Amino acid sequence: MNEELAYWLALAHIPKIKTKTKNEIIVHLFEQAKNIIDFFQFEVSTWSHDFGLNQSEIELFLEAKNELPNYAFLVEDLLEQGYNILPITSPDYSPTLKKNLGRVHAPQVIYTKGNLQIMKEQSIAIVGSRNANDDSIRFTDNIAKKASVEYKVVVSGFAKGVDKQALDSALKHKGQSIIVLPQGIATFQSGFKNYYKQIINGDVLVLSTFYPKAPWSVQLAMARNPIIYGLASEIYVAESSEKGGTWSGVMDGLRKKRTIYVRQPNPKEKNANNILISNGGKAVDINGNITDYEIKNNDKSLLFEPNSNEVEEKIIAFLKKGVFSAKEIVSFLKIDWNSRQVSNFLKNKRDIITIQGKPLKFTHHNKSNLAQKTLFDNL
Amino acid sequence: MNRQEAEIKLKNIFGFDHFYDEQWETIDLLFQGKKVLLIEKTGFGKSLCFQFPATQFQGLTIIFSPLIALMRDQVKGLNEKGIDAKYINSEQTPQENSQTIQDAIEGKLKILYIAPERQENQEWITATRKMNLSMIVVDEAHTISVWGHDFRPAFRRIINLVKLLPQNLPVLATTATATKRVQEDIEKQISGDIQTIRGELIRDNFGLYVIKVESEDDKLLWLAENLSIMEGNGIIYTGTRVNTEIYSRWFEFTGIKTTEYNAGLDANSRKEIEKGLMSNKWKAVISTNALGMGIDKPDIRFIVHTQIPASPIHYYQEIGRAGRDGKPTQLILFYNSTKDKNEIEEDSKLPKAFIDGARPSLKNYKKVIDALKTEQLGERQIIKTTNLKQTQIKVIKADLIEQGIIKEVIYGRTKKYEYQFNAPELNTKAFDDLRELKLKELNSMLEYINITSSRMKFLCDYLGDNSHTQYLNCDNTTLEKLKVNPKDSTKQKLLEHRESYFPELLVESKSSKIINGIAASYYGTSSIGAALHRSKYENGGDFPDFLLKLTLKAFRKKYEQQHFDLILYVPPTESGDLVKNFAEKLSQVLNIPISHKLIKTGTTQAQKALKNACLKKDNVSKKFSYSDPKEISGKSVILFDDIFDSGATIKEIANILTKFGVVKIAPLVIAKTVGGDI
Repeated sequence: MNEELAYWLALAHIPKIKTKTKNEIIVHLFEQAKNIIDFFQFEVSTWSHDFGLNQSEIELFLEAKNELPNYAFLVEDLLEQGYNILPITSPDYSPTLKKNLGRVHAPQVIYTKGNLQIMKEQSIAIVGSRNANDDSIRFTDNIAKKASVEYKVVVSGFAKGVDKQALDSALKHKGQSIIVLPQGIATFQSGFKNYYKQIINGDVLVLSTFYPKAPWSVQLAMARNPIIYGLASEIYVAESSEKGGTWSGVMDGLRKKRTIYVRQPNPKEKNANNILISNGGKAVDINGNITDYEIKNNDKSLLFEPNSNEVEEKIIAFLKKGVFSAKEIVSFLKIDWNSRQVSNFLKNKRDIITIQGKPLKFTHHNKSNLAQKTLFDNL
Repeated sequence: MNRQEAEIKLKNIFGFDHFYDEQWETIDLLFQGKKVLLIEKTGFGKSLCFQFPATQFQGLTIIFSPLIALMRDQVKGLNEKGIDAKYINSEQTPQENSQTIQDAIEGKLKILYIAPERQENQEWITATRKMNLSMIVVDEAHTISVWGHDFRPAFRRIINLVKLLPQNLPVLATTATATKRVQEDIEKQISGDIQTIRGELIRDNFGLYVIKVESEDDKLLWLAENLSIMEGNGIIYTGTRVNTEIYSRWFEFTGIKTTEYNAGLDANSRKEIEKGLMSNKWKAVISTNALGMGIDKPDIRFIVHTQIPASPIHYYQEIGRAGRDGKPTQLILFYNSTKDKNEIEEDSKLPKAFIDGARPSLKNYKKVIDALKTEQLGERQIIKTTNLKQTQIKVIKADLIEQGIIKEVIYGRTKKYEYQFNAPELNTKAFDDLRELKLKELNSMLEYINITSSRMKFLCDYLGDNSHTQYLNCDNTTLEKLKVNPKDSTKQKLLEHRESYFPELLVESKSSKIINGIAASYYGTSSIGAALHRSKYENGGDFPDFLLKLTLKAFRKKYEQQHFDLILYVPPTESGDLVKNFAEKLSQVLNIPISHKLIKTGTTQAQKALKNACLKKDNVSKKFSYSDPKEISGKSVILFDDIFDSGATIKEIANILTKFGVVKIAPLVIAKTVGGDI
């Protein structure tokens, strides 16, 4: 099996080719009793005739084929460090994920560390806002406890608020949990330190679907959401606003006809839980029991979670005022990103100038000349 | 490309007319994208089997080699032929290594040599993502087998890598020494479709001798009388690092030009000695077996072993470095067959001790496992938590990683060790099997000493090559036996040497005014250690006077011409006034005033109770002071202690004295321990 891994990574990380196209290749190989090594050895004409690849796709595959030795180096390094690399054909690959996402969405490879058996258990995901209200947190704790008592695994996205609460509650109640990363698995240093005991005791599995060395980014955080939903047999919504990750994830789930339980909000709460219920979500009370709640008040929610786009805009607007380090940005804007997230976001941004030094500083291309030099000069 | 076409290119690039058949066979397989294991004796021309195809491939060839000297030589040779080759290893600065990596990424190189340990380096791993790779070569491939004679854990990763490489990527593994068992192990590990090409191992220019002696002195005596009349230049392998020094001082005393080499030297000194060896600067280089592997010197005329190697494979490998030019070459092996009171032969003890000491006790494995079950730790943290020696930790770590119980994980720039979920129990049977094998190999080596038939035949048989029928050239066949029969004058000389030979204490440092010091003797190798031990730990009273005489002699040899203002002594941990009383006697005889003002400001543990250098350093850190700092400002002082082990105490005191303005600190001790922690 291991000798196929470099080939699997080459396939999984080809850019610009649809997941569906990649998965159909795998299905096709499976039906012909061939494996992925065979695929990469096939003539280009076979790729085009039997697998229906077009010219530009073929070029991308040829490039990936050239990179096979390079992927071998990467795979060796990952295995040596104790990461598992699971192709979609592996018996260890999460059956729940495969079933829920299907050939259109299921990732070809997942990277994990920890107890693989966790992926075979019944599982739930509790999703919601980063700055959820007390009821939502209480709800999350209740659901996680119930799940743990019933030997169900809690799937967590490891974001602040509901995600983190779900994880902590599951562990507090001696349950098991899957942490789904918004980044490559080899960049989760602090998490592997903080959850070391739970990982080696088999209570936590860390999972990522991204290129192993990819740093956190907004795009990956968004792309992670469907994986969370995919890994869960049941989905509970603690709190959602009308846009952002939770919202789009749940709406996507409802479109895919998943059963989604939504916490029934108090009349005074301002969030989009009611809208989700009216769109097909099943209302549950604070203990997760189904209610016969009817939506009386179809108010549009007024309270929005500050989603990533808003934070990004805030940071960029702020940089037009001067030169700041990531740490200064975080403390001044009081956003719930950490400095590294800010740095990673800014490093690749157009119109943002990175000023080398320790720490790195950033400014906007159009910064006005009168702007202060650093945050602390003028304070 | 057919052979004829290839040989035209060979002529153009390398200047040779033809390939040997086995060379071409190998190269042809590599051109077909095959995996090949090539077993050929030293001097056969194995390197050409990858260097030539590397020049013909479109991308980069990576050569994993454990031999820094070989990298240097081969890269130089390739560059002279106009081939773009470089190496990455610990001898270069990080900047130089980074530049080499950059060149490889940009496609400026055809050949890149790299140490297998580099596979643990993230800069390298990240860079491999971007290189255009054409072939992988594993040099000294016997080191990938635990059954091989010097298995290196880093090579385990190379094997894993080779297994993951795409099919059709040519891979060449080469070695000069592999038994059938090692060959099969390599074949199995690299995967089923590897083809093995094996050549003959006989070296018919070798004259093999065994000299049985009755004491260590016999070896010194024979060499003093015979070394200078031996043909050409060569290498003397001693079993231990401290013996390189002992032999080297003796030859210095007898006026034979030699130098010592061991892994304790810094990279520059090592390079200098390797260069000197090439240009026959010395009659012989006295070395541990760290020297000589991969050195491209065709005319090493003799190799003497003062201790037996661990196995006939080791021996074949080590003598294989000599006589590559095919001219007559002498290979001499000493063996002290005197039996001790338990009927054990003296010279079987050291290799036996290496086998016994190769693995720490199971209790220590458990300590490391338990520590890592609690939290992820770096190497230093493991050392601190377990109070085990660094050398032991290294062995334990490698074994636990090998068995999948722990993993080495890299976060940014730090390495952490992590216990694994569902880790298997420690498999101690693997250790027992390996120990059994090593004992068996040692017995075969002892057999080599005592056989009466052809020695070369014995070695070739052992390595699984029985293609030849006629073997000559040894002291059991056509050559005369060598015997020890020293003159009285040589014996007298050795006595004189003993009384004038004092070990150096290499403690000089840029951060303090300490200079290299001197010891009156080694702790373990004479009656001196016993005398010290009696006084210190068995209430034997003050150190005896003969120690004073010897210490004064050492002092005069090292410091005769120098001026000192004061004698200071290290305040004791547990041995009362012994050191103080001795220092007072020194002060009287030397007529240098003594000071009692060097004091302890905190309690310390006895250094010998601590198992590793980190803990020793921590133990004495900031624990000393001088009660009247003004008094010693601008002074030169002797710093006396009874026993020198890691040197941590003396260095720490020197730092403090330097702060107080002392301009020279000269260490003087009665005995230096052998094989301290570092």
